[in-house]
Amino acid sequence: VPPRTERMAVDQDWSSVYPTAAAFKPASVPLPIRMGYPVKRGVPPPKEGNLELIKIPNFLHLTPPAIKKHCAALKDFCTEWPSALDSDEKCEQHFPIETETVDYVSSGTSIRNPKARVVTLRVKLSNLNLDDHAKKKLVKLVGERYCRETDVLTIVTDRCPLRRQNYDYGMHLLTVLYHESWKTEKWESEKSEEDMEEYIWENSRSQKNALDTLLRIKASENVSNVSKEELLGSEVVTNYRNSVIALKNEGETESNMSQYKESVKKLLNIQA
Amino acid sequence: NLMGARLAGSHVDTQEPKTNPLVSLSDEPETLYKRLSILVKGHDKAVLDSYEYFAVLAAKELGISIEKVEKPPKTIERFTLLKSVHIYKKHRVQYEMRTHYMCLELKYLTSSTAAVYLEYVQRNLPEGVAMEVKKTKIERIPEHIKKPVWDTLPQVEEAEVKS
Repeated sequence: VPPRTERMAVDQDWSSVYPTAAAFKPASVPLPIRMGYPVKRGVPPPKEGNLELIKIPNFLHLTPPAIKKHCAALKDFCTEWPSALDSDEKCEQHFPIETETVDYVSSGTSIRNPKARVVTLRVKLSNLNLDDHAKKKLVKLVGERYCRETDVLTIVTDRCPLRRQNYDYGMHLLTVLYHESWKTEKWESEKSEEDMEEYIWENSRSQKNALDTLLRIKASENVSNVSKEELLGSEVVTNYRNSVIALKNEGETESNMSQYKESVKKLLNIQA
Repeated sequence: NLMGARLAGSHVDTQEPKTNPLVSLSDEPETLYKRLSILVKGHDKAVLDSYEYFAVLAAKELGISIEKVEKPPKTIERFTLLKSVHIYKKHRVQYEMRTHYMCLELKYLTSSTAAVYLEYVQRNLPEGVAMEVKKTKIERIPEHIKKPVWDTLPQVEEAEVKS
């Protein structure tokens, strides 16, 4: 019996020959394919009875016209993305919480994968309704899960056996953290200088030293006793304060060091 | 068969817009996926290349914006075993497993579009190829995180302080 390939027209509908995934049938595919390792001084073996061509997964059922037909039929079931959310920033503004879940597809004896129950929750703290004290307390409570550069809190939940349970637990954690950070406990008033996240100039050694020095300068010049509030409000002291805060919080940069130098010169009245 | 159902219904009403009888509309708001990251792993690079062409074309036809298509370098796991069942320690045999990767990142999908695309792409996954799908869902801040509860429940707070 001659193979079917001899009766196939050039402009036939290929999606009716291979509608679904099927093994390679050499009598149904009109292509002169050769596959395999050639014998010495020979060519790769032809397609008739070629096991290599049958073993490899073929995409003969997914030609471009077939894909287009499938997609045209599937298009009815798709919904459109809201056109107002076309950039990442707008998504961030309206929908701040991001939940990441992973699905695994593989062939094997079981379809389950234990890694599939992990849920990652990401929020930017600037989108939550937190005041200054609440934000500092939340950052302290959360520890490593908060990234200062990008202001993103990441919660990875793994402890429950199901993904839905992990997601609910993650949201519960977020709620509890939020509410606990708004509470003020009695022992929080014992917060010492080592616990502070950023440098505060008021009631620090730098302020005491500066005031001390200025008072002694004024006493040695025998000027009438100037009050502390006047000294604190004067321009030289505020300059010094700003430069010290910039140095401590932002680290040492060229501009910070030169600003500090200028303010110290003005404070102690040294003309270099 | 989807094509059969559409053709069967269309000859009845030619003036009204043709609605697919298999499509069901629901009122609940769709969950939005900001990014869908598909990582495909396989032993054969040619199979993965064909699959990439298929997945990219399917995404374009369904109107899904593709962020990028990456091809991370392959990993080779090699191990050395003894060639013989008993003794002959100096004669070994080496095996290796090559895993090729292909990463497809899609942006801005709704849950129904994602479900349709993923089902289509997963049904046509070739034999011997594995896939990992990372979905990043975005949602609004839930009601109970908008304001702290302590402002509205003073009596409960006092009872807690006492206990």
